[in-house]
Amino acid sequence: MTAVRSTALLTVRSLRAIPRVPERLLDVTIQPIVFILLFLYVFGSAIHVPGVSYKDYLFPGIIGQSLAFGIIGAGVATSHDMAEGVIDRFRSMPISRLSIISAQVMGQFCEQVLGMTIVVVFGLILGWNPHLTAAHAVELVALMVFAMLAFTWMGVLLGMLVRSPDAMQGIGFIVIFPLAFLAGTFVPIAGMDAVPRAIAQWDPISALVGTVRGLTEGVSSSGSWQLGHPELAMALWCLVIIAVCVPLALRRFNRTLAG
Amino acid sequence: MTSLPAIKTRGLTKRFGEFTAVADLDLRVETGTVVSLLGPNGAGKTTTVRMLATLLRPDGGSAQVGGHDVVHDAAQVRRLISLTGQFAALDPNLTARENLVLMARLRGRGRRDAADVTERLIERFAICEFRDRLVKKLSGGERRRVDLAAGLIETPHVLVLDEPTTGLDPRSRQIVWSTIRSLVDEGVTLLLTTQYLEEADALADRVVLIDHGREVASGTPAQLKTQVGAQRVDVIAADAAEFERLRVLLDDRFEISTSAEQRTISVAAPDEAEDLARVAAAVAEDGIAVDEIALRRPTLDDAFLALTGHMAHDEDEMPSEVAA
Repeated sequence: MTAVRSTALLTVRSLRAIPRVPERLLDVTIQPIVFILLFLYVFGSAIHVPGVSYKDYLFPGIIGQSLAFGIIGAGVATSHDMAEGVIDRFRSMPISRLSIISAQVMGQFCEQVLGMTIVVVFGLILGWNPHLTAAHAVELVALMVFAMLAFTWMGVLLGMLVRSPDAMQGIGFIVIFPLAFLAGTFVPIAGMDAVPRAIAQWDPISALVGTVRGLTEGVSSSGSWQLGHPELAMALWCLVIIAVCVPLALRRFNRTLAG
Repeated sequence: MTSLPAIKTRGLTKRFGEFTAVADLDLRVETGTVVSLLGPNGAGKTTTVRMLATLLRPDGGSAQVGGHDVVHDAAQVRRLISLTGQFAALDPNLTARENLVLMARLRGRGRRDAADVTERLIERFAICEFRDRLVKKLSGGERRRVDLAAGLIETPHVLVLDEPTTGLDPRSRQIVWSTIRSLVDEGVTLLLTTQYLEEADALADRVVLIDHGREVASGTPAQLKTQVGAQRVDVIAADAAEFERLRVLLDDRFEISTSAEQRTISVAAPDEAEDLARVAAAVAEDGIAVDEIALRRPTLDDAFLALTGHMAHDEDEMPSEVAA
């Protein structure tokens, strides 16, 4: 049994659950849509960003936020999935253990892609106008896919480290939720107070949002090296996340919980 | 070596923080035999089988399956062993059939081959009527059958069943037992954990009693039964005073053990129905008021009492059964 084949089989297994438990998709579909409506039609009226319509300013932020929230979603799902008896069956079978985790990542990744597609389509319907050349569009998709992969690995690792899906929700709310806001997601970083501005300048999600904004609007930001070079910064962040999370996730999976 | 044991552990130990789940356990299962690990809840049965199946790493000692070390040679061990646990190891969002096909394909079978073996398993384990139902919608007994089937896609070198009938209704229990018997007839090597003396007796060649993670006794069911006594007669006195009279009376003529709180005197009954008649006659003769006299099979408690001189530690889990 090659690792690739078992990964493929196990990924198909995770994907089969989507139509059978559709409520699992709520966090990657309904949640971003609520944020879009809230910021576009409620808070947005009071936010003015010079040189760009708020609609065009908002969607890159929403995309960055959705990516960040993907960590929470992947973590909650993983801590739930890993508690299922079937994982023990897989672990005691002669298949590569990396393939069990890879399949978990692939399943979550597909959910993220599905969610992101819905967000983008919804944005276009509402009149978002990403000023993209074909080359930039390709670059954007490639970078987003890379980022989603890295963030999913991070979520899967966190999901294996926490004790319960509730604990993962808690971490998400305390750590990831603020970081998703402190990133020039909804308002420009330059106008923030000193402390949040300092955080936002080095928040990885700023690099994500900056990348999308740079490619769609040609808007660039400054204030830190990261904000000046969002694409490079984002690629580095993702590489670091993958380099750290993949081995840790595998190690965590090989050691076991009590039972 | 011609007779390599299927399972061999030496000083096997596992701790969870302060708690020692398995302590210095030496276990040996010869190829082609059925060994039952018998003990109350929390005795360390599940921890032991999880270490054998490479799901938990031992803290001390060693364990080998088919001559391969469970830590250093885990990949080899996983080829030889199949574990069916007390909690269904199935995907709840797939149907019974889809689960079996998935497990078969993960074991390297092609699409058609996997479908064929699944059909055979569906027939053998009487899964047909619920084959296309989602596993999360199956009853406990149905799920256990699918679970057993999933563990038998390839005939494993060693089959490990962890409490295969715990929580099952009597009918499902019978189905599981007859399935296990037919596997045993085919010569499968089986390690079976259970809380039921009756189950170990019915299925195993050799029984290892464990408590607090340690072996407390072992032997063939026949050996254990001679020590435990095949059946017992339980007499429940009407009140505390009658209990005293009863104790004095029966202690004279029979081998007894007593439980004052439950006003119960338990009499060894090697001659079964004849002993029941003798006890009943003695009680009637003296005119002692009793609530119940019944013949019953020995429980895990009786075995512990007979073999170790003390009760299994898990009192709340093992209410003494007083039904015949």
